[in-house]
Formats: sequence, structure tokens, C-alpha cells
Amino acid sequence: MEKTLLLKAEIREHAGSKHAAKVRKEGRIPAIVYGHKEKPVAISLDARNFVERLHSGQRLMDVQIGKKKEKMIVKDLQYDYLGKDIIHADLMRVSVTEMIKVTVPIELKGAVTAKGTHEGGIIEEHADRLEIECKATDIPETIAVSVKEIGVGDALHASDIALPDGVKLLSSPEMLVVTCHLVAAAKTTEQVEDEMPIAPEVISEAKEAEGEEKEASEGKK
Amino acid sequence: MAMMPKRVKYRKSQRGKMKGNASRSNFVAFGEYGLQALETSWITARNIEAGRVAATHFLHREGKVYIRIFPHKPVSSKPLETRMGKGKGEPEFWVARVRPGQVCFEIGGVSEDVAKQALVRVAHKMPIRCRFVKRRHSL
Repeated sequence: MEKTLLLKAEIREHAGSKHAAKVRKEGRIPAIVYGHKEKPVAISLDARNFVERLHSGQRLMDVQIGKKKEKMIVKDLQYDYLGKDIIHADLMRVSVTEMIKVTVPIELKGAVTAKGTHEGGIIEEHADRLEIECKATDIPETIAVSVKEIGVGDALHASDIALPDGVKLLSSPEMLVVTCHLVAAAKTTEQVEDEMPIAPEVISEAKEAEGEEKEASEGKK
Repeated sequence: MAMMPKRVKYRKSQRGKMKGNASRSNFVAFGEYGLQALETSWITARNIEAGRVAATHFLHREGKVYIRIFPHKPVSSKPLETRMGKGKGEPEFWVARVRPGQVCFEIGGVSEDVAKQALVRVAHKMPIRCRFVKRRHSL
């Protein structure tokens, strides 16, 4: 069966958490549409279609609201407390020709087999997303970064990452993305206990003691 | 003594309530894989230390373990064979308040298989049900 690329949306007439919960029970996801200096519209999308589309890596979607078809990108998603289900989506109107700002995930390639890991180090990811500017039709699903050649003590900054054609970096070029460093020996329970105080310092008691000392010194005078 | 705060405003605290689910610290933020709490509970400093030892022992200096909870709350108790009254007991141990969704431990720098095995060992040290979670890279 051929899947349609069009997402049909229904306008939500009632806002608020109670009504949103009702929408979710019907198997739909509440969403908001904004952008292009038009009024924001509260809509709901079919949860199954929308999640399927997201899993296939699509950010740009055709959404039909009433009789109007518009191109939109998924700007933000909200998850439930366990991070399993999407409970709300932010959609932004875009035109195909305009340049837009989006955040794209970084995908590390070869982190387990990197040069540094053979030398006893570990690859640490400091940032997992990059902010870029590109055309709505050219949004990359992920930005692949190869870390195979990174040794112990090396670092990779945002400026070192090769971006696809037509994509401009908006994040700070000095932003630290990946480092490789040696792992410190794990502390034993005894070492951890030695570092910890026997009992914590009590701030209120310290203040009281200070007050009493002051009074005593004033009394002597 | 295991983990505890260095400075506190008051020595003893009331029990308090833990309603609802975790609204922060409910996703993997530092490592690549995590252990997420599925129940509400107090997790003692000893539980946390046991989890840390289990994970680091299994990893053999590979990868990095992140502990996302800290025992901020003192729990007091009365000595044995003491009559009721005469004031609140002395602080005995420290606990972290954990609600469903809270990511308690994280591991980075190892493969998924190794991380899973390490976190299963940590989960056995916890007084609650937990689940293995991965970092969400997409939106």
C-alpha cells in the first residue's frame, strides 16, 4: 500500500490540558502551528501517521488544515515523563525556498573502535546537536561525524565538522563536540567515604553560634 | 559514611510527599545509556554506592559512569528500646527522593550490550523497578 505524504490535521477548538488529554485518548497528538507572521493554530494529528513519518527521518511535512495545504517542519516535540510517547508537537510554516534555522542531531561513527579507545581512553560526547541554517528541503536527517582517528587528548570542535553542501553552521565554531581522554581509576568505597564528611555542617547552628559569641563579647565590653 | 551533603540548612527534615512523576532529569543527558526509575521511592546513599560499585566493577575501567541522583534528605530514627516521646531521633542515613521517570545512572563510552549488562547489575541494587533507556538523538 502506498503511503500518502500528506498529513491531515483537525483544528482543535478547545485548548487546555483536559481537552488535550481527550485528543490523546482518541489516538491523536495535539500540536500547534505557527510561523510566517500568521496566527498560531491549535491542531491535532493522527498519532500513528505522524510518528511513522518521524521515524523515517522526515522533518518537512505537507499538512492539510481544512482545505489549505501547507509545508511545515517539526520544530519541537514534547514527550511523556518516561520519554516514550510524544504528547505535543510544534510545527512551523515554511516555504521551500527560504533558509531556516534548525537543530540537527550529530551521529558519531566509530566511537567504540576509535584510535583513542585502543589506547585506554573513552570518547565523550559533549554536544549531540548542531544548529544549522539551510533550505527547508535540504535538512539533513543527521550529521555524521567520524571519530575513528581521534586519539587520547584530542578534541573535535563544531568548526571541524564537515557539513553537507548548502548547510551553514550557526552554533559557535569553538563549541566542543567530542573529546577523548583516559579513564580515571574508579574509587573504592573506602576512598569515597574518606572524602565525605562525618556529618554535614549545619548553617543555622553556625549562625546561632556566631550570634552568641557576639553577644558574649559585647557583654564583656 | 557514604554520600551526603557537605552543608545543610537544618539537620533534620520532615518526611514529605512524593506525588506525580519526574518532570526534570527524565532523559539521558550525559552518557549514552541510562537506568530510569519506574517507581517512587527513597533511594539510600548505600543503595547508590552499591550501584556505583557494581557498575564500575563490571566495566573494568572502560566507559564512564554518571550518577544523576544525590541523597539530600536526612532520615532520622530513634534508638532501640527507647520510650516514645522526648523529641525526634537523630539522623541515621541519607536518601535521594526518586519519582517515576528519573534517570538515576548513566553510562557512556561503551557498547550498548556492555552498558545493558552493567545497568542490569545496578538495577539489582535498587529498591525499585527500573528500565534501560538510550539517549534520544532526534528531536
